[in-house]
Amino acid sequence: MDVVFGFVGYDFAVLVADRAATQQIIVQKSDEDKIAVVDGTKIMATSGPRGDCVAFAEYVAANVRLYRLKYQHELDVKATAHYARNELATALRKGPYQVNALLAGVDANGPELYFMDYLATCHRVNTGGHGYGGMFCLSLFDKHWVPNMSRAQAMELVDLCVAEVCERLVTAPTEYLVKIVDKKGVEVIEYDATERLAKRREVQMQAREAARQAAARVGA
Amino acid sequence: MSVNLDLSFLHDTERGAASTKYRDEALQGVSNSVHASNFTAPAVEDFDAFQREVINYVKPAHGTTTLGFIFEHGIVIAVDSRASQGPYISSQTVKKVIEINPFLLGTMAGGAADCQFWQRNLGIQCRLHELENGKRITVRAASKLLANTLYSYKGRGLSMGTMIAGWDLNGPGLYYVDSEGTRLKGQRFSVGSGSLFAYGVLDQGYRWDLSVKEACELGRRAIYHATFRDAFSGGTVSVYHVGKNGWTKVTGDDVGELHFHYYPSEKIDEDSLGGLGKKEAEERAAAEATAMET
Amino acid sequence: MFDAREDALAGARQHANWSPYDNNGGTVLAVAGESYVICAGDTRMSSGYNILTRKFEKIDKMSGKTLMASAGFAADAVTLKKTLKARCKQYEFQNKREIGCVAFAQMLSNTLYYRRFFPYYAFNIVAGLDAEGKGAVFTYDAVGSYERTNYSCQGSGQALIMPVLDNQLKTVSPLVLPAASSATPLSEQEAIDLIKDCFATAAERDIYTGDSVELWIMNAEGVRKEEMALRAD
Repeated sequence: MDVVFGFVGYDFAVLVADRAATQQIIVQKSDEDKIAVVDGTKIMATSGPRGDCVAFAEYVAANVRLYRLKYQHELDVKATAHYARNELATALRKGPYQVNALLAGVDANGPELYFMDYLATCHRVNTGGHGYGGMFCLSLFDKHWVPNMSRAQAMELVDLCVAEVCERLVTAPTEYLVKIVDKKGVEVIEYDATERLAKRREVQMQAREAARQAAARVGA
Repeated sequence: MSVNLDLSFLHDTERGAASTKYRDEALQGVSNSVHASNFTAPAVEDFDAFQREVINYVKPAHGTTTLGFIFEHGIVIAVDSRASQGPYISSQTVKKVIEINPFLLGTMAGGAADCQFWQRNLGIQCRLHELENGKRITVRAASKLLANTLYSYKGRGLSMGTMIAGWDLNGPGLYYVDSEGTRLKGQRFSVGSGSLFAYGVLDQGYRWDLSVKEACELGRRAIYHATFRDAFSGGTVSVYHVGKNGWTKVTGDDVGELHFHYYPSEKIDEDSLGGLGKKEAEERAAAEATAMET
Repeated sequence: MFDAREDALAGARQHANWSPYDNNGGTVLAVAGESYVICAGDTRMSSGYNILTRKFEKIDKMSGKTLMASAGFAADAVTLKKTLKARCKQYEFQNKREIGCVAFAQMLSNTLYYRRFFPYYAFNIVAGLDAEGKGAVFTYDAVGSYERTNYSCQGSGQALIMPVLDNQLKTVSPLVLPAASSATPLSEQEAIDLIKDCFATAAERDIYTGDSVELWIMNAEGVRKEEMALRAD
């Protein structure tokens, strides 16, 4: 069960994906990269059967590159999203790519995020997620996402989402990968979920302890 | 930003056609240019329903445990050798490691015919790559060739779970490729109906700095325990090691004999497993109880 | 991708439960020795509970050193053999020599696999003498997976006969290290007697095996045939 989500910040966009490659009940691998780099300023996270995801991401990346070579003109994020959507729509009529994707990138219009599913829905969003994992995140985004977030704020929101997924989702993955794209390029963040969650838990425990002491004081 | 490149080749179909022409000629008569059009298709309206019916008739050989892992001194590949058609054991001597070339191995799990045919096809593609480029194919490229082939047959009912292992310029490489088109690079894989049992022993015994001897023994032990619990695995355990000079077959043991090698007493009695005797355990419990009191 | 299918479907109407297959039963068997190989098959052909003929030969000589036996769906088996014989001739003209049994074995595997999505419902055994004159048996599944062994049995009597052959002929697996000789320990005559016993036994318990058994014995001198009557009920 893939966990994939992302959102836009001030001058960047963030994508997060879990790192597990699974087959039925077996975790075959826990260092898989599900966020493909389409080109220097565009990234795409995919969820679905690995074969389809890899084939689709490689196909899109290769064609975006070919377009640049051929016309010496770079596709912007919107054009890339519409190109990818069209490929999904074509594939839908002949044994579809079972691929749900989030495409994030930065161009002259600033950071953008596009939500796409295998039925070739495509919509520009500020926040997005796929699968059950994504659903836990969506409500968190509605509550906590604000325009023009800083990177520090963004990472806090990522922590919040991962913590929620780990607490509530059956078979929640343990490893996550975060990629941040801005106009300078793609930054891969070594996201240690265990460490971040432990830190959060510590803060929670302190708060709980403080609350307990406060209650005791009131009682006395 | 705008550097002018000669991109005429993108449109120049002639040149592309010429290079494929020689290739096609070379392939003629070898009859290895596998195309979908070579495969006879049934004249039925519902292909999937027909495939389900056919499966009932032909019962292709199935069932396996295979494993492979990378460690400090290369790669170990270990497999069983049983093939079954339903409850009938159709062979106990299947060769599930396919020796693609002296530096590349493939393992087979799933449909025996699918694995044999496509790995043989991969062998041909790898040899052609060698002839065209004057150097050996990388494990990365070989596994991608197979993954691309299988991806193009997705949904046609092929059943394969394979590992491609080998040594190239980048050192040891291990990939998992299956008939869904999945291709994963990894350190440690087990594939087949007995893979869960094999994973148990393998994961707990694995260390990066195992010696070659220890690693081969770990592979053999993991497959042995899979044959013990999984009815579809059995026969002989074959263990291969891949080092920088290519692969070697290290051991081949009949499971029937291996069992008594691991458990020499005629009956597996609990005393032979190395725990405490009942009396000693009672003494320990008493000692623990007094320790708690004081 | 699948043009043949579209051609066949053009203008055709299809019965809902149409099936291109039948099982005509029968058992085939082969045993390889150090310098001989024996291929045997019963001669009964049935469909459902009816016996269609008592004299249907399941074994054919494909080339000088190669025999092939098929059980299962007779129409597919006959078609398959006809195609293969033609390809053997082609091989002979192209290479100016007869096809050997090892090459033939792989050709059969490929031929079967090219029908992966519309299989020949035939269960085959190839028996022959290899380049060194040693007996060789190759055993197949319906879609072309194959293996060289010393003995094999396929068809309706497989589950009855195979355990007997294992009991009498099983040797060290060729996968075991250090390698040990895995040649069949029987002499030619002993093997012939064993095979006849196997068929007589199978005919007692399998309704699709009976009438008579034909044995093709191949050694350095050539090929000879023997036949023995089985129960006809």
